[in-house]
Amino acid sequence: MTLDPNAMTRLLEITGGDVAFVDELVDTFFEDASTQLDALRAAGAANDVAAIVRPAHSLKSNSLNVGATVLADQCRSLEADGRAGEVAGMAARIAAVEAEFASVRAALLETRAAR
Amino acid sequence: MNPARILVVDDTPFNRRLLIRLLEGIGHSAVEAQDGREALERLRDASADPIDLILLDIVMPEMDGHETLAALKADDALRDVPVIVISGVDELDSVVRCIRMGAADYLPKTVDPEILQARIEASLVQKRLRDNERDLLATIDRQRSQLARFLSPQVAALVSSADGEAMLAGHRREITAMFCDLRNFTAFSETAEPEEVLGFLRAYHAAMGELIVQHEGTLEHFAGDGFMTFFNDPVLQPDHAARAIGMAVAMRDRFAGLSADWRRRGHVLEIGIGIATGYATLGRIGFEGRYDYGAIGNAIILASRLSGEAAPGEILVAARTFVEGEADARIIAEPAGDRSLKGFSRPIPTYAITGLGERSGDADRAAESVTT
Repeated sequence: MTLDPNAMTRLLEITGGDVAFVDELVDTFFEDASTQLDALRAAGAANDVAAIVRPAHSLKSNSLNVGATVLADQCRSLEADGRAGEVAGMAARIAAVEAEFASVRAALLETRAAR
Repeated sequence: MNPARILVVDDTPFNRRLLIRLLEGIGHSAVEAQDGREALERLRDASADPIDLILLDIVMPEMDGHETLAALKADDALRDVPVIVISGVDELDSVVRCIRMGAADYLPKTVDPEILQARIEASLVQKRLRDNERDLLATIDRQRSQLARFLSPQVAALVSSADGEAMLAGHRREITAMFCDLRNFTAFSETAEPEEVLGFLRAYHAAMGELIVQHEGTLEHFAGDGFMTFFNDPVLQPDHAARAIGMAVAMRDRFAGLSADWRRRGHVLEIGIGIATGYATLGRIGFEGRYDYGAIGNAIILASRLSGEAAPGEILVAARTFVEGEADARIIAEPAGDRSLKGFSRPIPTYAITGLGERSGDADRAAESVTT
């Protein structure tokens, strides 16, 4: 399971059930996440360990907002290793983050379509 | 609860949008900044509306939450703006650090609007209480300095002091009272132009007022050409008799300069001073709406009678004042007889002050320094 449905329920709850606004928020998540993914990809290509910390942190907190727990865990460990200065298997892990994001995105869009 | 203007500082657009939406939903207006640097720029922009409260993310590029908080607390103008830290679930260590640095509170990133509202209200109430307290202190300070222009500085300080009320209610104390007024003033004010009279009084009050402040006397009031000053209240002055005599001598000297100037214009004015020591009742005298800090007692009446008795240019003091004054200063005086005064059943022994001498110890030291 890549998506914790409680996060969406909670977002709807605290916005007073404003579906259109939550959809906007999710779109904001998509846009921001693709910026962070670009940054991660660039850091991976340059083998720049320090440069992955920020995008990994940002993508982590964004993922938690929408309930993408697996994606958040992947980013959290990348952020921690980046801070420690050594990221084992960096390229493969960044690729895994990209793949996970793709399925999160698909799942979120599917939820939206199913409403 | 009044609407507040809240600055949301977060680098993640998702969080900013959500928080702004929640804030607007509970009636506040929101301004956003994507990092600490942008936040400080907005806060220091004098042309923009002031911010009432800051919601601050911790991990941000450029300037993070800790750096921002440190900059805010180091800035006199921004120190008092309450900061609520917005933290992710795994940032509790950072939250503790932020609270120690002066953050008012913290909240998780996806927060329930009711909790958000409650925390914001609590922080704003605290801020308002602090602001009120600061304004009140500033007002008291301003009033104290205003009061000091109308009352004796000692009385102004007393009014705003902790034991002021008890002192104002009335107390008994030994004081030395000094009355000073002018011979020929009535004749002068009848013959001189009103502008001349006022001009003279201003110069006279300014000169005498300066000496009262210098000798730390408590001025009860100026009434035309006369005034009463006392010593040892409300501030204790163990050498009150010597102080009063010292001030009287200084006043007579200063007045000599003033009167020489007026004599050239054809007006002969002379000073007359009376001084007496004794117990008096001091405190608030008057009626609701207009009180003076005043003194009542035999010493006051005696000083007033002696001032009336004094020859032009004379400082007439009760024997008791002379004796007490001699304990603290070298006073040169001559016996001026036992005076029968209105309201006093027995004649009062008096002295006329010639001047102040060096204390015998001072004279010895001066002599030593000459010989060596």
